[in-house]
Amino acid sequence: MFTRPDSESILEIRGLVKRFPNGVTALDHVDLVMKRGEIHAILGENGAGKTTLMNILFGILQPDEGEIYLNGEKVVFRSPLDAINKGIGMVHQHRRLIAAHTVLENIILGHPNTGKFIDKKKSRKEVEELCRRFGFKIDLDARVWQLSAGEKQLVEIVRALYRGAKILILDEPTSVLTPPEIDAFLDSIKAVSKEKVTLVPFVTHKLPEVFSISHRVTILRRGKVVKSLSIAEASIPKLAEYMVGRELSFELERVPTEPGAEILRVEKLSALNDKGLVAFKDVDFVLRQGEIFGVAGVTGNGQQELAETIMGLRKPVGGKIYFDGKDITKTSVLDRLKMGLAYIPPERIGVAAVGDLSLVDNVLLMYYFEKEMSRGGMINYKLAKQYTEKVISEFNVVAPGPTTKAAHLSGGNLQKLILGRVLLKTPKIIIANLPTQGLDIAAENYVRRKLLECKQKGISVVLISENLDEILQLSDRVAPIFEGRFVDILENINLRKEAIGAMIAGGFAERGVNRA
Amino acid sequence: MLKLDIGRIKRERIIIISGRRAVEISLLSIATSFVLFSLVLMYEGADPLVAYQNMFSFAFDPKLGLSLTIHRSVLILFTTLAFIIPLRAGLWNVGMEGQFYLGTIGAFFMAYTFASLPSEILIPLILLGAAAAGSLYGAIAGTLRGKFNVNEVVVTLMMNNIAFWLIYLLVVGGPWAGIAESSSRPLPKSAHAPYIFNTPFTSFLAIALAVVLFVFLTKTTTGFKIRVLGHSINTAKYVGIDEFKMSVLVMSLGGAIAGLAGYHMWAGDPAFLMIPRPEAYKAVGDLTYWGIILGLVTLLNPVPAIPASFFMGSIIVGATVLVRRLRLPFGFDFLFLGMISITFAAFQFFYNYRLKVMKK
Repeated sequence: MFTRPDSESILEIRGLVKRFPNGVTALDHVDLVMKRGEIHAILGENGAGKTTLMNILFGILQPDEGEIYLNGEKVVFRSPLDAINKGIGMVHQHRRLIAAHTVLENIILGHPNTGKFIDKKKSRKEVEELCRRFGFKIDLDARVWQLSAGEKQLVEIVRALYRGAKILILDEPTSVLTPPEIDAFLDSIKAVSKEKVTLVPFVTHKLPEVFSISHRVTILRRGKVVKSLSIAEASIPKLAEYMVGRELSFELERVPTEPGAEILRVEKLSALNDKGLVAFKDVDFVLRQGEIFGVAGVTGNGQQELAETIMGLRKPVGGKIYFDGKDITKTSVLDRLKMGLAYIPPERIGVAAVGDLSLVDNVLLMYYFEKEMSRGGMINYKLAKQYTEKVISEFNVVAPGPTTKAAHLSGGNLQKLILGRVLLKTPKIIIANLPTQGLDIAAENYVRRKLLECKQKGISVVLISENLDEILQLSDRVAPIFEGRFVDILENINLRKEAIGAMIAGGFAERGVNRA
Repeated sequence: MLKLDIGRIKRERIIIISGRRAVEISLLSIATSFVLFSLVLMYEGADPLVAYQNMFSFAFDPKLGLSLTIHRSVLILFTTLAFIIPLRAGLWNVGMEGQFYLGTIGAFFMAYTFASLPSEILIPLILLGAAAAGSLYGAIAGTLRGKFNVNEVVVTLMMNNIAFWLIYLLVVGGPWAGIAESSSRPLPKSAHAPYIFNTPFTSFLAIALAVVLFVFLTKTTTGFKIRVLGHSINTAKYVGIDEFKMSVLVMSLGGAIAGLAGYHMWAGDPAFLMIPRPEAYKAVGDLTYWGIILGLVTLLNPVPAIPASFFMGSIIVGATVLVRRLRLPFGFDFLFLGMISITFAAFQFFYNYRLKVMKK
């Protein structure tokens, strides 16, 4: 069991208000009390105000109203430095480490004791002592780029603790970790809390994890605190309800379909990753019309490269791709798009959409090459606007209007737009790579339902996901991928999650090479 | 415990800047540079108001500076457009100077070669020569960038020098040398550019071009592809936009526009080429670099580039009175121009950040 947190409060927030210039009230009189040594999860959907609250606590943003008390004393954080000096640490979702430097160098970087000259010996002793105290196992001389996501996160935690953090803010701590790493992470979090450090994980989804570690949960919705309750009083459906504000139906029904005709055939396909190493090798599979083909695996096992190769974004080093019987191995991306292949990448802003462009332009990205869209080289913006409005209304995109910039949309709404602009033209194949990553429960549910609906329209889906529940819920067939190879291709009938889990962790693969 | 805590100023990042804010910032930066230069003027014992009044009355006086103001403004407008188009696709064209010289070469080559043709055919031919030469020169950098990912800034910058010495070789003691020192043979009468309302027709050509380019960028499919590429290379690849083709296209387009600037500067108006001594050549070539500053200030929008260019043109011409008429020390005109460009550059900060005074 956990240590019982002290009853004395360390951080208190009263009446915090933050309004943005665009008129959005991100935080609306938020009150919070955190106790010493407590693990206090902040839960909320995308757009609930979590990020704003986090940024205020860490001094990146300043509140318009309200006060923050630290150990009973009123504090104002003008910058992250102020916050760090007062004992607040932050572990970012996107790691802020220098990849080419060693772990030790990253940990001591910016520490006031480091000064102009670095006394590595002394710092090393201190860091080693700290790791021993918390029971962290970490190689101080490894270069950061060699570390896994979980190890990098640990480095960030150690760095914050080394700077004397008494409160640790964790931004979506488990979102980029693999299942075994999550267990290790939860252990280290418990160790930290035992040392009277308060931990504040901010979480969008993954409720079970919140449950297994937190003492207390506060739920934010639309900038307000909906509820703050101890974990003993909470249950998963109740938390989900507080987050979304209504009863949710988690049940999606997968209608088994008769396998249709072959639409895509991949033969002995191999490609390299960006580092020039083999990403996946000799992949064979057939995609049938109207089926969902689930590729299950931990990110980084070649799924992304496979999707990119099928889409023509990456050149294969061997093998063939046939679409509707035609060899498309050398066909351009544009021609594949025209044929009816569509790809939903995991990077929503930066690849799938451009934040600085309007929603109309972003919808146009999938239509600009269509004949109906350009007349004599001029874009038919009237039609583009119509399409955008249709996507917005048919796919429940919450947006002020079609001229809104994509950067102003929340992750869930942007994903609905990205999915909607593709579905509106009824493609033949959708390759969806981590389509629900980082989405809140409602949006996640929506995207899954839409993918299931594809089947009725005869659209085939390649679903790439590391969420096994999602894979099992949606797929007709499942291909667990490990180190660039399909371990097997299984019909999704009575499949056990544990079995797939073992496959994607390498349990069933031959272990030819020794992995570092 | 009593603690004095003065509110501090903090910066907040702006994700998307509005057009209105961009205009406000530009006006503010111009005002700031005028105020700063006033201090310098006062230090020299001159009355700033008299100085500014003299500057603008000279620059806009039809009998004195107006024609020169228009001439320089049009040159700057062409180079601003030549800078804007490639950067909309994410390519930094700092080779307007080289493309401008190449355009000049192209224009004069056509004019000398087809001197016997009538004006109606010869002048379009000259324009075509200027645009084609500048375009080919720009396309080299675009091809290198698109095919081998060679940095276009380095390539265009180095090609600027090559272009200058090329034109120098042609004019100073070369095949095109005229009677006067470092001048070319004058162009035949038939090559003289027509005037509309007593202004070179290139002025109207430049303004029309700015409007056409605006429509091109915002309404056409190709313009859309350019904009997407400029925002995100990954998105462009993802939706099947050919990066190589676009790189070559925007650089040749930019080069063609800078080539027209070369036509305007010499073939259009004086109808002969004058190359100053190499140590002083920068005076003309430098004007092309205003394209970079104005392009950035106008947020790469061709339409506001029109007033911005005319404003800069009037200051460039007007500032000359500071030395000639007000007898201020040598170089004061350039000092003012330098201060304006530095203030413009410094105010770019406000394009990215908003300052917020912190409450205590």
